[in-house]
Amino acid sequence: MSGHSNWPEWIYVAVVIALMAWVGAEAWETERLIEHVPADAKTIIVTGQQWFWTFEHEDGTKEIGELHVEVGKAYKFEVVSTDVNHSFNIHDYVVLMDAIPGRVNTVWFAPDKVGEHDIQCREYCGLIHYNMRGTLYVTEPLH
Amino acid sequence: MKFIFGFLLIMAVLVALPAVDFVFAAGDEPGEYLDRRVVIWNLFYKMMTVAFIVGSVVSGTIIWQVWRFRESHPKAKPTSYEGTDW
Repeated sequence: MSGHSNWPEWIYVAVVIALMAWVGAEAWETERLIEHVPADAKTIIVTGQQWFWTFEHEDGTKEIGELHVEVGKAYKFEVVSTDVNHSFNIHDYVVLMDAIPGRVNTVWFAPDKVGEHDIQCREYCGLIHYNMRGTLYVTEPLH
Repeated sequence: MKFIFGFLLIMAVLVALPAVDFVFAAGDEPGEYLDRRVVIWNLFYKMMTVAFIVGSVVSGTIIWQVWRFRESHPKAKPTSYEGTDW
Protein backbone atom coordinates (compact mmCIF):
# COMPACT_ATOMS: atom_id res chain seq x y z
CA MET A 1 0.00 0.00 0.00
CA SER A 2 1.84 3.08 -1.18
CA GLY A 3 -0.48 5.65 0.22
CA HIS A 4 -3.36 5.38 -2.21
CA SER A 5 -6.83 4.36 -1.24
CA ASN A 6 -8.29 1.20 -2.67
CA TRP A 7 -11.83 1.45 -1.33
CA PRO A 8 -13.36 1.67 -4.82
CA GLU A 9 -12.01 -1.81 -5.51
CA TRP A 10 -13.62 -3.17 -2.36
CA ILE A 11 -16.93 -1.55 -3.24
CA TYR A 12 -16.65 -3.07 -6.70
CA VAL A 13 -15.94 -6.52 -5.21
CA ALA A 14 -18.84 -6.16 -2.77
CA VAL A 15 -21.23 -5.14 -5.54
CA VAL A 16 -20.17 -8.10 -7.67
CA ILE A 17 -20.59 -10.53 -4.77
CA ALA A 18 -23.98 -9.03 -3.90
CA LEU A 19 -25.15 -9.32 -7.51
CA MET A 20 -23.97 -12.92 -7.76
CA ALA A 21 -25.73 -13.78 -4.51
CA TRP A 22 -28.94 -12.14 -5.73
CA VAL A 23 -28.80 -13.90 -9.11
CA GLY A 24 -28.14 -17.21 -7.37
CA ALA A 25 -30.98 -16.69 -4.91
CA GLU A 26 -33.47 -15.80 -7.65
CA ALA A 27 -32.52 -18.84 -9.69
CA TRP A 28 -32.65 -21.03 -6.61
CA GLU A 29 -36.10 -19.79 -5.68
CA THR A 30 -37.40 -20.36 -9.22
CA GLU A 31 -35.95 -23.86 -9.20
CA ARG A 32 -37.61 -24.55 -5.86
CA LEU A 33 -40.97 -23.29 -7.08
CA ILE A 34 -41.10 -25.23 -10.31
CA GLU A 35 -39.58 -28.48 -9.05
CA HIS A 36 -42.07 -29.09 -6.26
CA VAL A 37 -44.98 -31.08 -7.59
CA PRO A 38 -48.45 -30.38 -6.16
CA ALA A 39 -49.73 -33.22 -3.98
CA ASP A 40 -52.73 -33.94 -6.22
CA ALA A 41 -50.81 -34.04 -9.51
CA LYS A 42 -51.63 -36.96 -11.76
CA THR A 43 -48.72 -38.96 -13.06
CA ILE A 44 -48.22 -39.53 -16.76
CA ILE A 45 -45.37 -41.77 -17.88
CA VAL A 46 -43.82 -40.29 -21.02
CA THR A 47 -41.75 -42.71 -23.06
CA GLY A 48 -39.54 -41.45 -25.82
CA GLN A 49 -38.28 -43.81 -28.49
CA GLN A 50 -37.18 -43.46 -32.08
CA TRP A 51 -39.22 -41.65 -33.21
CA PHE A 52 -42.47 -41.15 -31.30
CA TRP A 53 -43.85 -40.39 -27.84
CA THR A 54 -46.01 -42.73 -25.79
CA PHE A 55 -48.06 -41.49 -22.85
CA GLU A 56 -49.39 -43.76 -20.12
CA HIS A 57 -52.00 -42.36 -17.74
CA GLU A 58 -52.51 -43.42 -14.14
CA ASP A 59 -55.44 -45.66 -15.11
CA GLY A 60 -53.25 -47.55 -17.57
CA THR A 61 -54.61 -46.06 -20.77
CA LYS A 62 -51.99 -45.28 -23.37
CA GLU A 63 -51.79 -42.72 -26.10
CA ILE A 64 -49.29 -42.50 -28.91
CA GLY A 65 -48.37 -39.19 -30.50
CA GLU A 66 -51.09 -37.31 -28.70
CA LEU A 67 -51.87 -36.50 -25.10
CA HIS A 68 -55.19 -35.49 -23.61
CA VAL A 69 -55.24 -33.62 -20.31
CA GLU A 70 -57.84 -31.56 -18.49
CA VAL A 71 -57.61 -27.86 -17.91
CA GLY A 72 -56.91 -26.69 -14.35
CA LYS A 73 -55.33 -29.93 -13.14
CA ALA A 74 -51.70 -30.63 -12.39
CA TYR A 75 -49.80 -33.37 -14.17
CA LYS A 76 -46.46 -34.85 -13.33
CA PHE A 77 -44.56 -36.31 -16.26
CA GLU A 78 -42.17 -39.15 -15.60
CA VAL A 79 -39.98 -38.99 -18.65
CA VAL A 80 -38.10 -42.11 -19.76
CA SER A 81 -36.45 -43.40 -22.91
CA THR A 82 -36.09 -46.90 -24.30
CA ASP A 83 -33.27 -46.29 -26.74
CA VAL A 84 -31.32 -43.05 -27.08
CA ASN A 85 -31.45 -39.62 -25.49
CA HIS A 86 -34.55 -37.59 -26.30
CA SER A 87 -35.98 -34.45 -24.78
CA PHE A 88 -39.65 -33.97 -24.04
CA ASN A 89 -40.82 -30.48 -24.87
CA ILE A 90 -44.16 -28.69 -24.75
CA HIS A 91 -42.99 -25.33 -25.97
CA ASP A 92 -46.13 -23.35 -25.17
CA TYR A 93 -46.00 -24.40 -21.51
CA VAL A 94 -42.21 -24.20 -21.13
CA VAL A 95 -42.02 -27.90 -20.31
CA LEU A 96 -38.63 -29.35 -21.20
CA MET A 97 -37.07 -32.48 -19.77
CA ASP A 98 -34.49 -34.91 -21.11
CA ALA A 99 -35.50 -38.51 -21.67
CA ILE A 100 -32.46 -40.59 -20.78
CA PRO A 101 -32.26 -44.41 -20.96
CA GLY A 102 -32.09 -45.83 -17.44
CA ARG A 103 -33.35 -42.69 -15.73
CA VAL A 104 -36.72 -41.33 -14.70
CA ASN A 105 -36.80 -37.54 -14.95
CA THR A 106 -39.81 -35.65 -13.69
CA VAL A 107 -41.38 -32.35 -14.65
CA TRP A 108 -44.85 -31.04 -13.90
CA PHE A 109 -47.26 -28.49 -15.30
CA ALA A 110 -50.85 -27.33 -14.90
CA PRO A 111 -52.54 -26.24 -18.13
CA ASP A 112 -54.74 -23.18 -17.62
CA LYS A 113 -56.52 -22.90 -20.97
CA VAL A 114 -58.31 -25.22 -23.34
CA GLY A 115 -56.37 -25.67 -26.55
CA GLU A 116 -53.96 -27.64 -28.70
CA HIS A 117 -50.21 -27.42 -28.37
CA ASP A 118 -47.19 -28.96 -30.06
CA ILE A 119 -45.12 -31.63 -28.40
CA GLN A 120 -41.70 -32.16 -29.85
CA CYS A 121 -38.36 -33.84 -29.29
CA ARG A 122 -35.66 -31.31 -28.44
CA GLU A 123 -32.61 -33.59 -28.46
CA TYR A 124 -31.27 -34.80 -31.79
CA CYS A 125 -32.08 -38.51 -31.71
CA GLY A 126 -31.50 -39.80 -35.21
CA LEU A 127 -32.84 -39.68 -38.73
CA ILE A 128 -36.50 -38.83 -38.04
CA HIS A 129 -35.84 -36.60 -35.03
CA TYR A 130 -37.32 -33.66 -36.92
CA ASN A 131 -40.66 -35.42 -37.06
CA MET A 132 -40.76 -36.82 -33.53
CA ARG A 133 -43.76 -34.71 -32.68
CA GLY A 134 -47.05 -34.99 -30.91
CA THR A 135 -50.04 -32.91 -29.93
CA LEU A 136 -51.20 -31.89 -26.50
CA TYR A 137 -54.98 -31.52 -26.20
CA VAL A 138 -56.12 -29.53 -23.18
CA THR A 139 -59.82 -30.19 -22.71
CA GLU A 140 -62.60 -29.23 -20.32
CA PRO A 141 -62.85 -31.55 -17.30
CA LEU A 142 -65.07 -34.54 -18.08
CA HIS A 143 -66.50 -34.70 -14.58
CA MET B 1 -3.26 -15.78 4.64
CA LYS B 2 -4.47 -14.12 1.48
CA PHE B 3 -3.94 -17.33 -0.43
CA ILE B 4 -6.01 -19.32 2.05
CA PHE B 5 -8.80 -16.74 1.96
CA GLY B 6 -8.82 -16.74 -1.84
CA PHE B 7 -8.64 -20.50 -2.01
CA LEU B 8 -11.56 -20.89 0.40
CA LEU B 9 -13.57 -18.35 -1.54
CA ILE B 10 -12.99 -20.18 -4.81
CA MET B 11 -13.83 -23.53 -3.24
CA ALA B 12 -16.99 -22.07 -1.73
CA VAL B 13 -18.15 -20.81 -5.10
CA LEU B 14 -17.16 -23.95 -7.00
CA VAL B 15 -18.07 -26.68 -4.52
CA ALA B 16 -19.89 -25.65 -1.37
CA LEU B 17 -22.57 -23.39 -2.81
CA PRO B 18 -23.65 -25.77 -5.63
CA ALA B 19 -23.75 -28.61 -3.08
CA VAL B 20 -25.94 -26.62 -0.70
CA ASP B 21 -28.13 -25.60 -3.63
CA PHE B 22 -28.48 -29.24 -4.67
CA VAL B 23 -29.47 -30.28 -1.17
CA PHE B 24 -32.08 -27.62 -0.56
CA ALA B 25 -33.52 -26.99 -4.02
CA ALA B 26 -35.46 -30.26 -4.30
CA GLY B 27 -37.17 -31.01 -1.03
CA ASP B 28 -40.02 -33.41 -0.43
CA GLU B 29 -42.77 -31.01 0.53
CA PRO B 30 -45.54 -30.67 -2.08
CA GLY B 31 -45.59 -27.57 -4.24
CA GLU B 32 -48.36 -25.19 -5.17
CA TYR B 33 -50.10 -24.69 -8.50
CA LEU B 34 -48.28 -22.11 -10.55
CA ASP B 35 -47.81 -21.07 -14.12
CA ARG B 36 -44.28 -22.15 -14.95
CA ARG B 37 -44.31 -19.92 -18.04
CA VAL B 38 -44.65 -16.85 -15.83
CA VAL B 39 -42.09 -17.99 -13.28
CA ILE B 40 -39.47 -19.01 -15.83
CA TRP B 41 -39.86 -15.98 -18.10
CA ASN B 42 -39.81 -13.70 -15.05
CA LEU B 43 -36.47 -15.16 -14.06
CA PHE B 44 -35.25 -14.75 -17.62
CA TYR B 45 -36.14 -11.04 -17.75
CA LYS B 46 -34.57 -10.39 -14.34
CA MET B 47 -31.38 -12.14 -15.40
CA MET B 48 -31.31 -10.22 -18.67
CA THR B 49 -31.68 -6.95 -16.77
CA VAL B 50 -28.76 -7.86 -14.52
CA ALA B 51 -26.69 -9.06 -17.46
CA PHE B 52 -27.18 -5.87 -19.48
CA ILE B 53 -26.52 -3.59 -16.52
CA VAL B 54 -23.38 -5.49 -15.52
CA GLY B 55 -22.28 -5.60 -19.15
CA SER B 56 -22.67 -1.87 -19.63
CA VAL B 57 -20.98 -1.01 -16.30
CA VAL B 58 -18.02 -3.30 -16.99
CA SER B 59 -17.54 -2.21 -20.59
CA GLY B 60 -18.07 1.43 -19.59
CA THR B 61 -15.42 1.11 -16.86
CA ILE B 62 -12.96 -0.41 -19.31
CA ILE B 63 -13.61 2.26 -21.93
CA TRP B 64 -13.26 5.01 -19.33
CA GLN B 65 -10.02 3.52 -17.99
CA VAL B 66 -8.53 3.17 -21.46
CA TRP B 67 -9.39 6.77 -22.26
CA ARG B 68 -8.36 8.15 -18.87
CA PHE B 69 -5.02 6.38 -18.55
CA ARG B 70 -3.92 5.75 -22.12
CA GLU B 71 -5.69 7.26 -25.06
CA SER B 72 -5.98 10.77 -23.63
CA HIS B 73 -2.22 11.05 -23.29
CA PRO B 74 -0.89 13.62 -25.78
CA LYS B 75 1.83 11.23 -26.89
CA ALA B 76 -0.46 8.22 -27.30
CA LYS B 77 0.09 6.56 -30.67
CA PRO B 78 -1.63 3.67 -32.35
CA THR B 79 0.16 0.36 -31.97
CA SER B 80 1.85 -1.28 -34.92
CA TYR B 81 -1.23 -3.45 -35.29
CA GLU B 82 -3.36 -0.44 -36.09
CA GLY B 83 -0.76 1.00 -38.45
CA THR B 84 1.60 3.91 -37.93
CA ASP B 85 0.58 5.98 -40.92
CA TRP B 86 -1.29 8.79 -39.23
